[in-house]
Amino acid sequence: MTAAVAVQTCRTIPDRVREWAGLDPERVCMREKRFGIWRGITWRDYWEQVGLVAHGLVSLGVGPGDRVAIHSENRSEWLYTDVAAVAVRAISVGLYSTNPTAEVAHLLRDSGARVLVAEDQEQVDKALAVLDQCPDLEHIVYLEPRGLRGYDHPTLMPWPELIERGREHAAAHPTLLDDAAAARTPDDVVTLIYTSGTTGPPKGAMLTVRNVHFATEVLGVGPGLYDPPPNENDVTLSYLPLCHVVERAATIWINAGAGTTVHFAESIDTVAADLREVQPTLFFGVPRIWEKIHAGIQSRMSGASRLKRLAYGAGMALARRIGDDLVRHEGNHTFRTRALYALGYPLLFRALRDRIGLRKVRAAGSGAAPVAPEVLKFFFGIGVVIREAYGMTENSAVATGNRRGRVKLGTVGEPHAGTELRLDPASGEIMTRHPGNFAGYWGLEEKTAEVLDPDGWLRTGDVGEWVDGSHVRIVDRIKDVIITAGGKNVAPSEIENALKTSPFIKEAIVVGDRRRYLTALIGIELDTVGDWAQRRRIPYTTYRDLTEKTDVLTLVQGVVKDVNAGLARVENIRKFRMLPKELDHDDGELTATQKVRREQLHDAFDELIDDMYGDTTKFPGGDLTGVHS
Amino acid sequence: MTAGTVTRGRSTGTVIRGRSTGAVRGRPLLRTSYAAEQAIWNTPAKRAWTLALVVAVLALPFFLSRDLTSLMTTVFIMAIAGIGLNLVTGYAGQVSLGHAFFMGLGAYTAAVFGGAGDDELVGLGLDMAVWLPMAGVVPALVGLVVAPLAARVRGLYLAILTLGLVFIGEHVFKEARSITGGVGVGRAPAEPVLFGLDLRARYHVFGYILSREAVFYFVCFAIFVVMAMAARNLVRSKPGRAFAAVRDRDVAAALMGVSLRRTKTLAFTISSFYAGVAGALLVVVIGRVTPTSWDLFLSIDLLAVILIGGIATISGSILGAAFVVLTPRLVSELADVVPFISTSPSSGFLSVFQLQTMLFGALIVLFLVLEPRGLYGLWVRVRNYWKAWPFSY
Repeated sequence: MTAAVAVQTCRTIPDRVREWAGLDPERVCMREKRFGIWRGITWRDYWEQVGLVAHGLVSLGVGPGDRVAIHSENRSEWLYTDVAAVAVRAISVGLYSTNPTAEVAHLLRDSGARVLVAEDQEQVDKALAVLDQCPDLEHIVYLEPRGLRGYDHPTLMPWPELIERGREHAAAHPTLLDDAAAARTPDDVVTLIYTSGTTGPPKGAMLTVRNVHFATEVLGVGPGLYDPPPNENDVTLSYLPLCHVVERAATIWINAGAGTTVHFAESIDTVAADLREVQPTLFFGVPRIWEKIHAGIQSRMSGASRLKRLAYGAGMALARRIGDDLVRHEGNHTFRTRALYALGYPLLFRALRDRIGLRKVRAAGSGAAPVAPEVLKFFFGIGVVIREAYGMTENSAVATGNRRGRVKLGTVGEPHAGTELRLDPASGEIMTRHPGNFAGYWGLEEKTAEVLDPDGWLRTGDVGEWVDGSHVRIVDRIKDVIITAGGKNVAPSEIENALKTSPFIKEAIVVGDRRRYLTALIGIELDTVGDWAQRRRIPYTTYRDLTEKTDVLTLVQGVVKDVNAGLARVENIRKFRMLPKELDHDDGELTATQKVRREQLHDAFDELIDDMYGDTTKFPGGDLTGVHS
Repeated sequence: MTAGTVTRGRSTGTVIRGRSTGAVRGRPLLRTSYAAEQAIWNTPAKRAWTLALVVAVLALPFFLSRDLTSLMTTVFIMAIAGIGLNLVTGYAGQVSLGHAFFMGLGAYTAAVFGGAGDDELVGLGLDMAVWLPMAGVVPALVGLVVAPLAARVRGLYLAILTLGLVFIGEHVFKEARSITGGVGVGRAPAEPVLFGLDLRARYHVFGYILSREAVFYFVCFAIFVVMAMAARNLVRSKPGRAFAAVRDRDVAAALMGVSLRRTKTLAFTISSFYAGVAGALLVVVIGRVTPTSWDLFLSIDLLAVILIGGIATISGSILGAAFVVLTPRLVSELADVVPFISTSPSSGFLSVFQLQTMLFGALIVLFLVLEPRGLYGLWVRVRNYWKAWPFSY
């Protein structure tokens, strides 16, 4: 009896989708672009497809507790499979579409998935290549038949066949979903979300019905990710990987919780164009996206006509004042900012926001890593108040967020409703406790015990500090903090983010643990630097060639000097070397979420680091006085 | 749960239907159907401006003098003719110098069906509802007969072939006295009586007195709107795309399965229909015309309409017609204020007629060199400048 009550209070995503399908069946809940047209999918379609996929999975032998893996870009079938798995008490596992074969093998083996939903030939090939390492994998369902017609493998099955099996199964077992819903407990694991694995192989975080319910209530129904909270009239763009907890929340949980209309971007490369078309009202970006938009504006403005540059300059002068005022007043408008904004709106802001696709944005968020304050101020200035939030997979992305009208720049805001947050007195590590704290790492009890206290506190691994007693500021990952030979603690990410504020710099890795001074490895942004070089008529061939140009080195040196000016002496970057290649997930230098794996980088580029600390100049780079190629 | 789901050939078995939310409103680029992508008025701004323009055009006769109202009516008529020529020359790429012949043919067809007959002239005295369509159909039929010949040649040879049409036509018009009235005499145009309503009378509407010029202005505007819309829809349909394919490269079009002969024939036929209707309406405005009016110079005027207005654009044809019709009037108005321009051909430094001719010639040269896309191209440039604001591309 108690279990039944708990199920009532803990509503799962399938429950919510079913409710919407009953309340407003004909309303479009998501759109995806096919052959140039945004095709609508209604709540009724959504729930029907979920039902069919659920029955189809059961007909393939998936039972409670079994894992169903999804290896695809964001699209409607991702949602169907995820929700259907939960509906039959199975566990969904998301794989990044950029995952190389070796990682696919690890994820499939570690999770023990019985069914894999693979998007296309590329993902099917990866799975088939590692099939012998994954004894549990029985079926591979593919979505795009292109290139797969010649494949003849007993595990392969096209998506329509799964749907057809589901239809037959549903006719034979009409009460399956109701039975599953009745048997569900709040402690059922619904999904494994694999951590990005900046240190060691990815670990599968188990989220339960209760976790997802709590996260949906806080982020989707309440003002968690977006403030004011989302509602049915909101339009969102789904473009970050759905296997990441933030996009899962922003797309699936908020959609089911608040009834927003989700639009799937065609791919990560077309986000700019998709944004323009969709003009979302809610937009959550990672710093890389905000920086890219910001850099794109600057690069395109430098190629604009004189009159337009003049107008932009005038608009930016206004934006700077608005931005500064907003920062001073914690995101609240004053009479002055409103007046200035009204002045700049027809001149620049309206058109600019329209071009970048943020004209209708009423709430914007950022997370996963800190954004440079300059970038934030820029967006504040043009009227897009980005509120930084903080969370992680292990607490279902629920920890802190900046509230509307109480935005403090450089902080990740205040703890959400229902969230207990404290700092470890010894290390300053942030700890959270709420019903969203995960159930543990899949098959790794020891690792779970390291982060989850017996009394329910989660160790986040981030060092934080209180700002004004209400807001939290993240200093750095506890493992990344650099202790120099002089004994000073330095948070490298702050310096790196300051460097990355420049539109010319894509990657910056600060080195200096147990060394006399700090140095940095720099990767340039090929688009903007290439553009810059072209304008100066500097010929170049490849990325590497471009990084070795003296002019480019001088450009980077200028950025380093500018950043140094704003830092304490001990935090100054004394030397830098250029990364000879763009960092890549396939080479193990980045995680699937584009975070750098420091240890791998230190190993891969140890020659560059030795070059800096050995006082030699074998590789292109420079110090504060000169550059060499 | 299983009811109503249709599995289609695509990998998604999702039915495309459902009530569209407010999301699509105010998001012109969020296209949820191919119809939306092809829409003529695809943004709210375009809808608003078009509506404002229509209101302004409808209000115009109440503020203009009668001769200026007639001049504006001529703009609509020349726009119809220009659209017709643009279909065959601009869209389908078939140079035609024979447009004047088809206009004349339309005018005389109308006169035969709608004019009064006597001992010397054939005239049936029918209603405008009959003679106006006939004025289009007969030239279209002639166009249909000529088209197979024209479809065999292209480029310069086609220009010469259609030029021949003008000369043959002029000769026939001169000789067929019972239809055209003959050289130096001409005949009265068809009588504009539409469904028994005499368009030559004055009417009282809401306390306003509508002059006969204003009445005809509204009638011509209505016909113009219908024909312009029809043309605009034609060019975004399958035949319209076939036109463009033939223009861009006829060999490639043929390889893609576009029938060259059928496409060219269709272009000529429709274009002749437009020319005929325009010719019939034009004589109603001008009055009695002699057979020599439908000569090469009219054809060249029409080429000027589409060259200055903009090749392969409907809006351009309208702009071009306004330009070609209104500029001479503007120049003669100027003559009153600028001292060295005289209104009589013999006195002064420059006569109005000389100035008009020179201005036209210079403008055509300038447009061809500087903005081959014509007035419409200028407009597109201005629009793109603001559309990209604050960027440049």
